[in-house]
Amino acid sequence: MEEITGFLKLALITATPIALGAYAGILSERAGVVNIAIEGMMLTGALVAQLTAMYLYAPLQAAGIPAAEIASLCLGVIAGILAGALLGGLHSITSIRFKADQIISGTVINLLAWGMTGWIYQRWMTATAPTAPGTFPRIPIPGLRQIPVLGDLLFNHQPIVYTMLLLTGVIHYVLFYTPWGLHVRSVGEHPRAADTVGINVERVRYISTIVGGAIAGLAGVWLTLEQVGSFTLRMSAGRGFIALAAMIFGRWTPLGAFGTSLLFGLGTALQIRAASLASASAGLAMIPTQLYQAIPYLLTIIVLAGFGGKATPPAASGQPYEK
Amino acid sequence: MTKKIHLISTVLSLPLLALAACTPSTPSASTSPAAEKQSVGVVLDTGGENDKSFNEYTIKGAKAGADAAGLGFAYVASAGSSDYEKNIETQISEGADLIVTVGFLMGDATAAMAKKYPDTKFVIIDYAYAPGAEGVDPYTTELKNVTSLMFAEDQAGYLAGVLAGCVSEAGKVATVSGMEIPPVQRYVQGFQAGAKSVNPSIVTLNQYIPDFNDPATGKSVGQSFISQGADIIFAVGGNTGNGGLLAAKEAGKMGIGVDVDQYLTYPEVKDSLLTSATKNIDVATTNAIQEFAAGQLKPGIELATIASGGVGLAPYHDAESKVSQECKAKVTSAQAAIKADPKITGVK
Repeated sequence: MEEITGFLKLALITATPIALGAYAGILSERAGVVNIAIEGMMLTGALVAQLTAMYLYAPLQAAGIPAAEIASLCLGVIAGILAGALLGGLHSITSIRFKADQIISGTVINLLAWGMTGWIYQRWMTATAPTAPGTFPRIPIPGLRQIPVLGDLLFNHQPIVYTMLLLTGVIHYVLFYTPWGLHVRSVGEHPRAADTVGINVERVRYISTIVGGAIAGLAGVWLTLEQVGSFTLRMSAGRGFIALAAMIFGRWTPLGAFGTSLLFGLGTALQIRAASLASASAGLAMIPTQLYQAIPYLLTIIVLAGFGGKATPPAASGQPYEK
Repeated sequence: MTKKIHLISTVLSLPLLALAACTPSTPSASTSPAAEKQSVGVVLDTGGENDKSFNEYTIKGAKAGADAAGLGFAYVASAGSSDYEKNIETQISEGADLIVTVGFLMGDATAAMAKKYPDTKFVIIDYAYAPGAEGVDPYTTELKNVTSLMFAEDQAGYLAGVLAGCVSEAGKVATVSGMEIPPVQRYVQGFQAGAKSVNPSIVTLNQYIPDFNDPATGKSVGQSFISQGADIIFAVGGNTGNGGLLAAKEAGKMGIGVDVDQYLTYPEVKDSLLTSATKNIDVATTNAIQEFAAGQLKPGIELATIASGGVGLAPYHDAESKVSQECKAKVTSAQAAIKADPKITGVK
């Protein structure tokens, strides 16, 4: 039992950045802006968060601020989110103001992020970099933590995992049960109709894309400040693109995206535990490791082909709005 | 900005190059007047001279070798892969008689330049040219002026395995590995053979991760191994492997680094680092340059081994007191055993 809980917990943790990335995609695509720059926003969020936490840690300690570690980590989170939002802003300006091809804009932002993070990393985060504060501790939720099985599975995590779980509900509620959510969806489905009833199409798209960028930035913060504690080149390792897939299988809904992210998480957890499975039984040891590594992607194809049905994106997704 | 830095570095390296160019004309004080002073030109990859890894150690070794042999010395860092050939040509035109290049990314550029300048000698670190279509050894035909410095990763891995097998109290050791490519496989095989040599019943776990830059997954893999009872993690996967070292540190277990002394290059985990299985790139480069100076540098693949001092274990540093005398002795005797019979690592 403990083994299974541990496995599911690992799945939930590895699903976190993917789910957050998918929510970022949902927010901007629901408003009609295709965002393939989630990978780049993640990477930038990861770098900026680490850079900020790193360079503020010592000064905060020197200033005698209690819990300088947590304080610098929190400031890092804010910086990472802002960095993601900034790239979201850039993407929305090119897509909305200048009506550029959104795929091209997204690609450019990804390339920009790869280049910029590499340069900043080489310049400021290698030889002479100050000590980093590490990663967020686990924060067990008092009371709920004591529930058998579920307590350990859901209520003994680091903060960004909780945030992801909360955001799932919040985004679902906002998108489907608030006037603002209705505006977002109508702008993504039929901007002209939305415009005629007085919704400011551009404003809704700007806000959605920027908030989406912020969430993608948070997904990146998970990499540095919650998982690894340091930045390395291209450490997002394709999670932003898997997130896009999760968004599509999730039918552009937060609950669906959460489910598919969990599925990817399970696949990754299988891959991570492959060696132990192989050592547990001779039969499983026959399976080549490459097959385990392919599991997340195989799952993608199976879900898409077998259980997916037709995936219909928001009707106006990717189309600039011309008055 | 990058352009500016490039400009600055170019300007700064100009005097160096000029110096290198001048050196042949400087009259060599005495001895044979015919032998003009030869010069070594190092062309670095894009990692730069302070990468804490291949580039930095190549320069260090090349400088030491050139100084010891009384050769001129110059180096240039490449700003991008399109600069490789240009930089090599610049070094040659500035008077370098031996070009040293770093890493497999420079393999093609080095081969192209070696064909274009057959009278210049080339040394490339960690890249071997495969035999041609009909099994023709390229080093006997078109690359007669090239020496590849390769490393017996399995031997360094074996020593790490002996140490891990001896230090492990749980009887379970693990490798968090990067892509399943030959150098990584050699490290892993050697490690497992070494661990089994001191404790035949030891359990060895290994997981390849198809990426060298995914520390998040590397850490999860390391945590998974630790939850299964492994108490030593050998990280063989660049940044991905570093995630494994981090997992060991956070769980209060021990890790073993790879390629360079990671106590110096990854200080975040130094408290939980036993040692590192190292390729002594600096030593190998120094040796090659001294062979060149003595006119003994041969084309082909030169394999750095424990016997040649080219691979081995880094100092224990803070773990000095944690490793028992018995285990240290076992590592020392394993070194002798490998020197006597390199095949015990299980890699051909």
